[in-house]
Amino acid sequence: MKHGNKTTLHGAALGAAVVISVVACFPIVLLALRSLARGWYWPDLIPQTFSLRAWKYVFDSSSGIPEAMLTSVAVALAVTVLSLCVSFPAARTLALEEFRGKQLIILLLTFPVLAPPLASAMGLHALFLRLGITDSVWGVILVHVIPAAPYCTFMLMSSFANFDTDWEAQARSLGASPGAVFLYVTLPAVAPGMAVAAGFAFLVSWSQYLVTLLIGGGRVLTLPLLLVTMQQGGDTATAAAIAIVYLAPAMVVLTLVARFLKPVS
Amino acid sequence: MVSEVNSRGHRRIWHLAPLMFTVGLLFVGGMTLAVLQSIGLLPIVGPTHCSFAPYTSFASDAEFRSSLVFTFGLASVATALSAVLGLWLALSLKAAVRHSRILGLILQIPLALPHLVMALFVMELLAPSGLLARFAYGLGMIHDPAAFPELTNDRFGIAIIVSYVLKEAPFIALMVLAVIMRIGEDYDAVARVLGASPWQRLWHITLPQLWPALASSSLVVFAFISGAYETPLLLGRQYPAMLPVVAQRKFMDVDLASRPGAIAAGIVIAVITAIFLTGYMRLARALSAKERALIF
Amino acid sequence: MNRHQYRVAVLFILSIATVLTPACNRKVQPPLTPAQFSAMGWQSFERTAQRSTVNFAMWAGDESRNRYFHTVVAEELKQRFGIMLQIVPLGDTGEAVNKLLIEKSGGKIAGGSIDMLWINGENFRTAKQGNLLWGPFAAGLPSIRYFSGQSRHRDFGTEIEDMEAPWMRAQFVIAYDSARVPDPPRSLSALLEWVRHHPGRFTYPAPPDFTGSVFIRHFLIECGGGAAALATKFDPQLYERASACAFERLNQMRPYLWRRGETYPASPSDLNRLFSNGEIDFSMDYGPSFASQHIARGDFPASVRTYVFDEGTIGNHSYLAIPFNASNVAGAMVVINYLMSPEQELDQMQALGDIPPLVPERLSAEQSALANGVKLGPATLPMEELQSHLLPEPDAEYTQRFQQDWLRKVLQQR
Repeated sequence: MKHGNKTTLHGAALGAAVVISVVACFPIVLLALRSLARGWYWPDLIPQTFSLRAWKYVFDSSSGIPEAMLTSVAVALAVTVLSLCVSFPAARTLALEEFRGKQLIILLLTFPVLAPPLASAMGLHALFLRLGITDSVWGVILVHVIPAAPYCTFMLMSSFANFDTDWEAQARSLGASPGAVFLYVTLPAVAPGMAVAAGFAFLVSWSQYLVTLLIGGGRVLTLPLLLVTMQQGGDTATAAAIAIVYLAPAMVVLTLVARFLKPVS
Repeated sequence: MVSEVNSRGHRRIWHLAPLMFTVGLLFVGGMTLAVLQSIGLLPIVGPTHCSFAPYTSFASDAEFRSSLVFTFGLASVATALSAVLGLWLALSLKAAVRHSRILGLILQIPLALPHLVMALFVMELLAPSGLLARFAYGLGMIHDPAAFPELTNDRFGIAIIVSYVLKEAPFIALMVLAVIMRIGEDYDAVARVLGASPWQRLWHITLPQLWPALASSSLVVFAFISGAYETPLLLGRQYPAMLPVVAQRKFMDVDLASRPGAIAAGIVIAVITAIFLTGYMRLARALSAKERALIF
Repeated sequence: MNRHQYRVAVLFILSIATVLTPACNRKVQPPLTPAQFSAMGWQSFERTAQRSTVNFAMWAGDESRNRYFHTVVAEELKQRFGIMLQIVPLGDTGEAVNKLLIEKSGGKIAGGSIDMLWINGENFRTAKQGNLLWGPFAAGLPSIRYFSGQSRHRDFGTEIEDMEAPWMRAQFVIAYDSARVPDPPRSLSALLEWVRHHPGRFTYPAPPDFTGSVFIRHFLIECGGGAAALATKFDPQLYERASACAFERLNQMRPYLWRRGETYPASPSDLNRLFSNGEIDFSMDYGPSFASQHIARGDFPASVRTYVFDEGTIGNHSYLAIPFNASNVAGAMVVINYLMSPEQELDQMQALGDIPPLVPERLSAEQSALANGVKLGPATLPMEELQSHLLPEPDAEYTQRFQQDWLRKVLQQR
């Protein structure tokens, strides 16, 4: 490992690191306490009584929570794969070629990202109803791809922006098949960007609530839906436990993606 | 030559078609239906009638006007704070993040937390009977929740801003850090060797390099805050309420006549956000053009 | 644009137009009509429903309720009738009504994903007006004989006409901590006085929240000359007089409320948080056993009790209904009938504190013994006290207008 020329952290940087660590970890600590607390009133700084009720419920299959976790993960993975497939060729074209209407297309891609969820969810529900794909897992997957794909496209576009097509041309002139060119030249070059794009697609799908509620129609149960239901019902301990369980896969994905965010030496 | 151009055009269409289908077709189709519903052409119940009443009534609705001002005012403040804080985090931690992968991960925790959960956290922290207040009680500073300052459900949306900044500053910091990692320190090192002061380096070298990432992530944040309802629903007031909260209330209203109004409110939010963003982008482009002139 | 791009653009626009038109009906049979069903007879319902799945949309914000239905009720249904019960969780009944509305306007007239739902009040009115329900069916259920005519007549003033079947009873109660407030105010006027002497210690959820709405409705009733006057058909002049008086009293109370009445808790769970943390001294709910359940869960201290006003509090019923596009009508009816049966109602009462609107005289000896053996929670009032202090709901139109006007007249001060 290369030792940097400035391994000592300045005071300000150290302070920032400490502050951000405390601020970021504190919600998780609080959630954990809340999930184990049985009654936590003013003025106690820590709960006086603890209980495992919420956690027992979370792992009990009759609560629907383990199943919702599986559904959420499955949907998010499907969304990731689909978004990558759909974005990859488009990102390449948009990054490397100039043509009429390119700016318009890029502008169009920003709409799902920037539109307020309430308006777009209503319209999408009406549309999906007409297409007959509501109340189904595939409908939910498709509706998640709609906001996820633009994120993927933009991430991949910035990867492709640094991509030199000459490498591909060279490989082809040396006799490689288009498939081999793709696998051994194109893919490795944009792999870091793809990983980031995949991570984003997963997280976008993971965090969807309103569209899952509307399009899934209560038949496709993901963790955010159960989290909100519990919270609205006033069961804060169970809601906190669900929130912690909900965080875990997201953190795993972020960890995996972080491997690809290596600094330029 | 012409056939080559045409075949390239064909291939381009195939490359773009899947994405344009999912995003373009479905999303645009959905929004079209939403607009049609808001003007009464696709009613949930009752006869079809074309009426722009939901939109025109906004002009005379005092609640709408005060919500509008409150929404975009709060969104601007929250975005500005997140951008400044995010930039500071990115610059302060750029060295530390290189050495410690754990720190990079910690910075990403707020990204994994849903907005609702962050809002609940802020409520637990800042409510008059919340953790900070209990801390103050333990120190003997106050004796009753009523003595603690009103930071939640208040007139200025303080708790709302805190909740958004806690989530969005790390987001912006990570976007900026990604650029920093990619472009490296070379320009900065050269400038230092040439005798530029830290402030000059920041203003003339670093900021212009980071500007595109900073601006685009800030725009995403602004658009998001303008359209989200969960956080202000929990941490804000009913009046004046942020526009998304008003839209959500109309949406959940049992009286079906409110439905077009709900969608109209959502669309108005989207349009106004778009206007802000366009204006902002034009201004930013003009400013950065001026900046380029100063460096070279 | 060249010819190729032109073609692409046309294709794009055509595609958008295509997806905007309603899909042609796929091969799903619409449910049989009520007349056809009543010709079939009850035994054939039970046979038809064997080995089928019933999707029940119900509020799922309570862990013990969820667990009870997922385990106890589902097991019984499987054993007795071979029915698989699937719960469709709702954060709010309005979600299900919304969904049905959109499905109806989108042309999904059959194969719906919900077979039965737990509903009442304004949601029922919306559903009935929008023709979102299947029926009438309630008169054909064997269990209906245990329920009173009153529970089958009107729901918030809307005529039921057997489009929904009675299931549970609710009544507005106020909770207080007997350790902090040993002598709570026993009438609405006494409450106003108490609030004036204890500024910042009382509030209610902001209408149109269900619970906040019923609280302010008590003012309307008192100003309108009693519940009976408002339970009949809507009278605009009566409303004008009563609401003016009610808003005046609510505004008199406003400066002494929590946060000076400038903001209100958004939901009952927010109200309960304020209550259990001691920011306010009262909570309220439509469910008479809510406080006992919160005590059991550890949210409220054990000294919390509930009470009703001397002049009575508003009560109503909640019902079970079948959506217009239900896939499994027979199964839904069998489940609904089972849930309404006295043994099941009483078991639910013991497990969850839900109050069944059963007519005591119509119960058999064993059923009455069961009813008397139910142990209520420490903070739940006995049935007799609730029953003797019961006020009927006003017509839905009064409720709707009043909670709308509250937004302007009290919240926004216009």
